[in-house]
Amino acid sequence: MSTAGSSPNEREEGGGKREERRKKGRIFRWQGIVPILLVLVLVFGGWMLFGERIIRGTIAEAATKALGAQFDLADLKIRTFATTVELRGIALADPFDRNKNLFEVGHILMELEPRPLLEKKVIVRRFGMGAVRTGTRRATPARPVTGGGFAPNAMREVQRFAQQFKVPLLALTPIDSLKALVLDPSLLKAVQAALTLAKDADSTKAAIEARYAGIRLQETLDSSAALATRLQGTNVRALGVDGARRAVADLRRAVARVDSTKARVEALLTETRRRVDSLQSGVSRIDAARREDYDFARGLLKLPSLETPDIGAALFGKVTIDKFEQAVYWSTLARQYAPPGLLPRKSEGPKRMRKAGSTVHFATPQSYPRFLLRQANVDVAIGGDEGSATYKLAVGAVTTDPAIVGRPTVFAIRRNTSGTNLDSVLITGSMDHTGAVPREIVNAHAAGMKLPTLALPALPYSMDPGRGTSELRFVLDGDGLFGRWSVRSTNLAWTLDSTRARRLNSVESLVARVLTGVQELELTADVSGSLAAPKLAVRSNLDRQVADRLRAVVGEEVAAAQAKVRAQVDRLVEEKSAPVKAKIAEIRTDGERRVADARARLDEEKRKLEERLRALGGGLVGLPRLPGE
Amino acid sequence: MLTFIKLLRSLIKTLHSDGSPAQIAFGVALGAALGLTPIANVHNAIVLLLLAVLNVSFAAGLLAWGVFVPIGFMFDPLFDRIGNWLLVDSRFLRPLWTSWDNIPGLALTNFNNTVVLGSVVFWLVCFIPIYFAARYGVVKYRATLGERIRNSRYYKLLETSQLYSVYRWFQP
Repeated sequence: MSTAGSSPNEREEGGGKREERRKKGRIFRWQGIVPILLVLVLVFGGWMLFGERIIRGTIAEAATKALGAQFDLADLKIRTFATTVELRGIALADPFDRNKNLFEVGHILMELEPRPLLEKKVIVRRFGMGAVRTGTRRATPARPVTGGGFAPNAMREVQRFAQQFKVPLLALTPIDSLKALVLDPSLLKAVQAALTLAKDADSTKAAIEARYAGIRLQETLDSSAALATRLQGTNVRALGVDGARRAVADLRRAVARVDSTKARVEALLTETRRRVDSLQSGVSRIDAARREDYDFARGLLKLPSLETPDIGAALFGKVTIDKFEQAVYWSTLARQYAPPGLLPRKSEGPKRMRKAGSTVHFATPQSYPRFLLRQANVDVAIGGDEGSATYKLAVGAVTTDPAIVGRPTVFAIRRNTSGTNLDSVLITGSMDHTGAVPREIVNAHAAGMKLPTLALPALPYSMDPGRGTSELRFVLDGDGLFGRWSVRSTNLAWTLDSTRARRLNSVESLVARVLTGVQELELTADVSGSLAAPKLAVRSNLDRQVADRLRAVVGEEVAAAQAKVRAQVDRLVEEKSAPVKAKIAEIRTDGERRVADARARLDEEKRKLEERLRALGGGLVGLPRLPGE
Repeated sequence: MLTFIKLLRSLIKTLHSDGSPAQIAFGVALGAALGLTPIANVHNAIVLLLLAVLNVSFAAGLLAWGVFVPIGFMFDPLFDRIGNWLLVDSRFLRPLWTSWDNIPGLALTNFNNTVVLGSVVFWLVCFIPIYFAARYGVVKYRATLGERIRNSRYYKLLETSQLYSVYRWFQP
């Protein structure tokens, strides 16, 4: 008999049948190990040939995505049995300047602890690096990093942060060449606020009227009046006991209705007052917006500011923001990669043809962190486009899981080629993400260092502070921000910027003369507030001198022009805001008048009803009370 | 097209092999893991090892791999949701995943990835249904169409081809 699954040849042989049954009955097929071993050999061979190349590509891609800037890795060596990784030719592009590298590192050697690797965790036992260069120019611009992830988010956060600062322009237009100002009312924030408030006032008025209509005052009054009229002059004896009881019940219901209507009228009064108060706060917003409009209109006229904070912010605002922007970027990124707490953390899954999904990391206080560099003390020769020097770099507790490590990440960089105060650099910092509120602190002090050249806005001059002292302190405590950047130099040099050279007007010439005559620089820039609402204050000896000189020469004209600007803004804003203010006052008066009127009419009606009730009650004894009375 | 012809040939060969319906069905159920779940994972190495050393149809396993790959791609959003529910939403499972993620070796399974875990769970749940469906299909085929196809000219041509000899090395 033929059975499903048997071959014709075997069916013919009796011995073959037994062999077939024996073969089919067994569970394991040990000869299957041979092809598996072959596959393993092939996999091992593939790993030897391409493994490091694949991992190198993966690291470069992941780091580029993670840091938001092109990360290059020339070579990678993995010594599996020694659990050592050697990286060569590392370069990270500057996320803020694609033509520069933030750093280049010749080689990095990391000795890893073996056991955590079995949990896909990297604990660096020993760390060494050499041939470091910073701020080098790239041969080709770095690729822009696109797509999602933490880094583009951090960059967006930083851009939002930077846009919140209002850096005034250094306007140096001569007063005699000022054109008459023709303001477009729709560009004024106060006008926009007044128009919005007018809409709000209209909708408030409509809402109050709808609410008033909903009270149905007239219906209540009419039905009460009808009842009172019906029962007027009625003889209680003629109604009989049942009729009298019904009449009393009707009267009591009418009184209750009047009371309820009155309560709703009182509630409407409270509501009206609340809404009008809210509209009044809108009026104060118009006044706040008007102050911004003064600045806006002054900016249109390009009136030179005579206030030192404005001049300081105009001269050094952008460069200050650039400095703190970078600190905010790295802090934001650090917060995203090393968040506080031990809650399961979701991150994007590995890139593959299939959907990546999300990878969730679970941790306990006893777990290994996903990444930890316990301690590193290295001497590195850091070079750049402007020469090299030897630095001592120390870092500790660099981790992705600060709650497990329980210590803040700390770092310090010190230039150790000099024993004097001259030519020294000390940068220290910490990232404390061990508690609920993350805190980052960076302190940098450089003395005797060549300070970067700053291009002056509005004038074709560059300021070269030469060698001087620079200090930076940055604290990001939760959302609270504090930063101070100061620069001191006694050998300031001014150079005409040939690429921006042009003929200067009288005010520009005056300011240029003032500035180029100054040989010392004392600058202090403060950033405060929060990430969502940062404030900038810049002061320097330059802005004081410029302000004094400008005030002496063009102070009166500027003051007159400013007064004109204010008058024009006031006129345009008043045109729109005065009717709104009147409407708000009308809503309040109307509301109060209506309520007073309704109250009086309801009281009168109630009095009449109670009179009828007393008249009926005089003829009856022991009438039952209505439920709820 | 070539892939489709290869698959068809593989299907016919498997159905006409000496393997019992149970051996073929077991091979299909195991091979489904290779197609349903992301391939480069530890559990798939174990599945491959089982396909090789267990007395099941290796060819059926490879065939199932090919058949279930598009299904896997199609169901990825579902796997992601299943995985998300198990890993994130099911708080009572959190201690299990926490210990799993922190045990040397087990962490390499990638079961903390929503798609990997979701697809593996889906495969495990479907293992028995796939097994029975495949067994039923093989029995039905052999009882109805099998003999006719075995006597066809094309099948004979296929049987004499060189590739068939290589294939026979792995038949159960």
